[in-house]
Formats: sequence, structure tokens, C-alpha cells
Amino acid sequence: MKRGDSLYRRLLGWLLLPMLMLGSLILIQAWVDAQRTADRAFDRLLEAASLAIAEQVQWQDDRLWFDLPPAALDMLATDAEERVFYSLVDGQGRVITGNADLPGDPREGLGDPDALLYRHIDWQGLSLRQGVRRTRLEEWRVREPFEVRVAHSREGRDALAAELWRANLAMILAMAALATVGLLLAIRAALMPLTRLRHAIRGRDPRTLAPLELTLPRELAELRDTVNGLLARMRRVRTNQERFIGDASHQLRTPLAGLSARAELALRQDDPARWKEALIAMQATSARTARLAGQLLSLTRLANPEYRPELVPLDLNAIAHQALRDHWGPCHRQGVDLGMESTESEVWIRGIDWLLAEAIGNLIDNACRYGGHRVTVKIENGPPRLAVEDDGPGIPESRRLLMLRPFHRDGDDQEGSGLGLAIVDGIARTHGARLQLSAGHDGRGLRVALQFPGDTP
Amino acid sequence: MNRRSRLVSRWLLLIALVATVVGADETLHYPATSGDGPRSSLVIHGALDLPQMRPLLEGFQRQNPGLAVRYRNLTTLELHERFLAAPDEADVLLSSAMPWQYRLANAGHAGSLESPAAQRWPGWARWRRELFAITFEPIVMVVNEAIIERFGEVRSHADLLALLERHAGALQGQVVTYDPASSGAGYTYAIEESRLSPRYWDLVAALGQAETELVDTTGEMLEGLIEGRYLVGYNLLGSYATARLVDQPQLRIVVPEDYTLVTQRLALIPRQAPHPEAAERFLDYLISETGQGVLARETTLGAIHPALDGPGTATLLRQERGEALRPITLGPSLLATLDDLKREALLTRWQREFTP
Repeated sequence: MKRGDSLYRRLLGWLLLPMLMLGSLILIQAWVDAQRTADRAFDRLLEAASLAIAEQVQWQDDRLWFDLPPAALDMLATDAEERVFYSLVDGQGRVITGNADLPGDPREGLGDPDALLYRHIDWQGLSLRQGVRRTRLEEWRVREPFEVRVAHSREGRDALAAELWRANLAMILAMAALATVGLLLAIRAALMPLTRLRHAIRGRDPRTLAPLELTLPRELAELRDTVNGLLARMRRVRTNQERFIGDASHQLRTPLAGLSARAELALRQDDPARWKEALIAMQATSARTARLAGQLLSLTRLANPEYRPELVPLDLNAIAHQALRDHWGPCHRQGVDLGMESTESEVWIRGIDWLLAEAIGNLIDNACRYGGHRVTVKIENGPPRLAVEDDGPGIPESRRLLMLRPFHRDGDDQEGSGLGLAIVDGIARTHGARLQLSAGHDGRGLRVALQFPGDTP
Repeated sequence: MNRRSRLVSRWLLLIALVATVVGADETLHYPATSGDGPRSSLVIHGALDLPQMRPLLEGFQRQNPGLAVRYRNLTTLELHERFLAAPDEADVLLSSAMPWQYRLANAGHAGSLESPAAQRWPGWARWRRELFAITFEPIVMVVNEAIIERFGEVRSHADLLALLERHAGALQGQVVTYDPASSGAGYTYAIEESRLSPRYWDLVAALGQAETELVDTTGEMLEGLIEGRYLVGYNLLGSYATARLVDQPQLRIVVPEDYTLVTQRLALIPRQAPHPEAAERFLDYLISETGQGVLARETTLGAIHPALDGPGTATLLRQERGEALRPITLGPSLLATLDDLKREALLTRWQREFTP
């Protein structure tokens, strides 16, 4: 499994990353703090030693004079055995005495004349902390300024800082370990409903389409509801399919039974004229049955969601003209006036010519069959639209949608299969067109229109 | 640096020979005796007499026959000067001038010895891992038996003070001690003693009353005592006195009971030592049980190693004298000893007390 595939790891990664960064920051901060603390503690030694020295400074024989207390130097060294340096410098910057020519501090004092100036210096290859005390003699007449400079090496400070840091480090690491454990538990707990959902789905009977029933947190409840919605749609589709198969079987069985009965009846006769009569009837029935089977096939194909035929640019006018030529004869024989209203310019859409011809044929057929005397095929542009309008009895608005269901027939119609409009609907869907059923001209009859996607002027 | 060297040289002029008997050109040379192994040599500069040094070097060479060893015996003054002039000449510096050795190490001139023996070396006898005390030499008095017969036992500083105060007239010019103004060792002891007790100044005054002779070295004092010119010697280096007075029954070495200063020879490896590996081996040998054993048996310097006891060791001396022993602390206070103004202050006071 790839790393990104695990939600658990992804969560862990994204939570641990900021935690690590935060931890590093805390560690750096702890290090800086430890050094500052160590410096503060050890700077006291510089302060005390320089004070002990400064207190000894006197004016004697017209010059600065002092008797260096050895303890002042001992003060500067701790168990870490630091290297110790000191010097006494007069107001003109001349070294009076000392074991090292320590550099002065370029900074000005901070107002307080007795304040010590601390800083790190690199002196003759040694890393030292230096304290400079600027003060002056406080005798009756002499107010000579002088500077006491003391310095020691950093071993004690570094050791203390390291010790403080180690103590902090142990605490920070312990906290990090606790936080990590907490994080792991929290993620596991948070992902638990997902596991439950997975188990619930996996544990289902593969044939059932019943909705999932389990309580989940909001985010997963949405997922569960989506899945349930999908299941509901699948249930409806399956119901439709079952009904379609039932209807189709029924539709095919009736003419086949008729054929069978007619043949049986004819066989009992001996008159060839009767036979011929029966055969003619049987031919008509089988032709109708064949047409029914053909319609069922196209409907099945159109209903298949996987069916994605390649659409090519077509001129609607040309298609309508061809359909008109094909159906004009039969309509004329039935006494139906078949007309056409086309646009002057060509109306281009993307589609499949034989499917569109089938749709127009079905619509003309329906109009003729359900009592239309005047059927008009209309082509409109902007948006591209193909409409078939009749002046028959029409369909009440409340029942128009029902007409799209396969095998639905209106009233006592015995002739049609009830598939015509369903097939037109399927063809419309294949073309991405909208099927509109409305009343015809002057509120009479029925108008069925396919509105194709395209430019709206 | 200028300032520093000026200070140092001013000081160096005042450092006196602790071991006067030694001439400036004394050297010992041990060529490598075995041919195998990498040929290397070792140069030691020390302020330690050849008779005391010889057994140590011989013992070392038994362990390291492939190493050519050259020992040069110098005065503490020469040793210090030579080092400052040529810091890359010697591999090991061995000197009894504690403040100067400390000052060199403090300024970062010494390298660090990281060996198991160095780790175990007692904390009071080393500074960091750079400066190692290898001997334990009490500062003693030498008293002629005639004095003891006449005026009674002299066991302590208090006894000496009483003797000088009572019989200053009888002892005129027959007492000898270091001149703190011209002897580095004498100055070091004076400063240490003045820190130990204010009564030291009474003693100085009493010494002044007796018109005490001031000399520069233990050797001079011992010669005068042996010749009978002096009857009482104060603040002599115990190790030299013990070695020199073996056949002088009329002179008694007194390790004072009230307090006894103890000086120590400090060894360090200069950072720029030409043969650092050999130097580390030698220093490691000096603080090893073997080297310290040689020190205890064949010299009078006093071994420090805690595992050793018996004659010639610090352990025995501690058992005998216990609390009275005052080893000079190996710490930053040694730097105060070298302070110019402090020196002036102390010597002024000393002169004032000493001059009747």
C-alpha cells in the first residue's frame, strides 16, 4: 500500500509534523534559556569578585593601589576549575596590575556608575566571559575613576547550561512521548466509525439493496446517506427493470398466443382459402410482434447507461424532410394531413441520424394513431428544437409524465405497444436533449418537442 | 602581550633558585636502547636535582626503551624564561615554582592529559587535567641539637617564636631563612604563612630581632647549617634537607606540629610540545603507581599516589602530622601571589616588621 493511501498515516503525519516543529522550537528555547540562566548565575561570581577587588582599591603614593584578596580570585573559579583573569585599569586606560591585559568594554555604562558590563570575549584563543566594573575612588579628596576587569572561562557555565538543558530535555521528551501516545489513541478513536462502516458494508448480503442502518458521526453520516441514496436509486432501477421485463414478456406472449391459436384454428380446417386467410392474419400479427421486439431492443439499448454512441453534426431540417417523405404515404392513406414547418437556414446539432428518424417516426405514428387529423413537424432554431404537433384529443397535463413509462397506454388503446414515447425519451436522453410535452396550437392536441443543447440567441 | 612580558620579566628577575646546588648546564641523556618501534625522543625541562631525577628517568626508560630521553635541570627562573622564549622546546615542564606553573596553565599554555591515571589523580593535586602535582614536600625547620640541649625542644612555630623572643641575643646572626624579596620560594611561603595566621608577623619581627640572615636558597641554608655558621634554619625545603642531612646527626629536621606548609612540584605538558605523545606517556608514568613508587623509595620528594603508603609518601606524612599539613592550594589564589601590587604590599610590610 502506498504511504498516502492510509488515512491513519496521513493524519498522523500531519499532526506529528507541526508537533515536531513545535518540539524543536521548545528545545531551542530551552537551550537559550538554560544558557541565559547559567550566565545569570555565574555572572554573580564576576560581580562578587570584581566588587571584592574594587573595595580594596585605594589611593596611595599618588597612585592607585590595592592588596589583591586571593579569595576574590578563588571566587571566580568553581568546581569546573575555570581559568581566571583580572586586571585593574586606571582612568587613562593604563593597566595598574593584573594577570592579563583584558580588553575594555566599548559600551557605555547604563546610567548606574557601579553597574557591571558583561560580555563574551575571545581572548588569545580562549572563550571567556568578562565583567567590567567602572567605578571611582570615594575618598575625601581623590575621586579617581578606575576599572576592574575580571574574566573566566566558560566550563562551569557550559556544564550548568548543559545540565539545565538535559533536565528540560528529559521533561520535553517525556511530554512528547505522552503527546504521541495520546495522538495515536485519538486518531484510532476518531477513525473507529470508519472501521464500523467498513464492517457494516462488508458484512452485508451482496444481493440486498436495503439502506445502511448505523449511527455515525456527522461527516460519515453524510457518506452513509449518500450510499443509501445510491442504494435507493438502484432499488428503483431494479423495480423498473423487473416491471419492464414482466411487461415485455406479457406483450410478446399475447401476440404469440394469438399466433398459436390462429394456427391451431386454421389447421382444423381443410379449406386452403381459410389457410391463406389465417396465414395473412398471422403475417400481420408476426410483423407487429417483430416491430414490438425491435422497439424493445432499441429501448433496452437506449436505457443502457453504458451506451454512448458517437454524435456527428447533423442538419435537423434534412432529417425532418426525410422522415416526412417516409411517412407521408401511410399518413395520407389514413387520411392524416402531415405537414412541416422548417426554418430557412440549416439547424445544426450533434446527433445520430437513424435515431432521430426513429424518434420522428414514432411521434408521427403516435399522432396518427391517437386521433390526429393534422400532424405538423416543426423545426425551430435558437435553441435547436424538433417538435411534432397534432390536433388530436391530447393528454391531460397530470398524466403527461406517465406517458413516458414503457408499456403505458392511455385508456382502451389496444393497437400500440406503449413504447413509442418511452423510446423517444430514451433517444432524447442519448442526445442530451430535453423532452417537452405540452398542449398543441390553440390549446388543442399534443405537442411533443425535443430541445437540443446548443446556442441560445 | 608587551605588558605581560614586561611584568613577567620583572618578576623573573626575582625568582630565585630553589635548587641552587644545580648548575645551569646539568643534563641527563638516555639514548634509546631498543631499535624496534617508532624512534621518538622526549625533552624534559625540570627544576629537580639530578640525583632525585635519575631514578625516575631510569624507571621510565625501563618501560619505554625505544624512547630517547633528555633531561635538562634548570633553575625555576631559567625554566620559566626558556619556556616563554621557546614554548615548543620542551615536552614536559617540571617545577616547584607553583604560582608560575599555575600561571602558565591558567593562560592556556598547557595541554590536557586524558588518561585513566589522570582521571583518578586526586582533585587537590591537580588543576583541570593540565597541571599535576607529583610530589609532596613539607617546609621544615632545621635545628642544631646544641640549641635543643640549651633551650629545649623546638617543635612548632610557636616554640620557634618563643625561642627567638627569649634568646634573641644568644641567636644573633645564627638564624637563617629565605629572603622574600629576592627568592620566589621565600616570597611564596611568606604570603602563604601570612594568610594562615596574623602571628606570622610576630615571627617576622622576632626574626628581625635576632638579626636573621636572609639567603636565596635551601642549599645555602643547608651549607651554612652544616658548616655551623647557623644554628637554626627556618623554612627549608624538606625534601632537600632530608637528602642532604642524612649524615649530619647534629642537625635535626623539625616538621612543625602546629602547621606545616607543603609545596608540590607541578608538571605540565606545553601545548606546543614537540613530542606530545611521549610527553603524555612520561606524565602518565609520573602519576602512575610505578612512577610514584620510585618517587617514594628512591627519592625524598614524597609520593602522592593514594594507593601508596609507608616511608616517603604523603599518606604517611598525613598520618603523622594530620591536620597540621597545609599544602599550598592549587587554585586561582596562586595568581594573587604573583600580583605586582600585592608583592609590593607584602614586602613593604615584611620589611617594616623585620627591621627592628
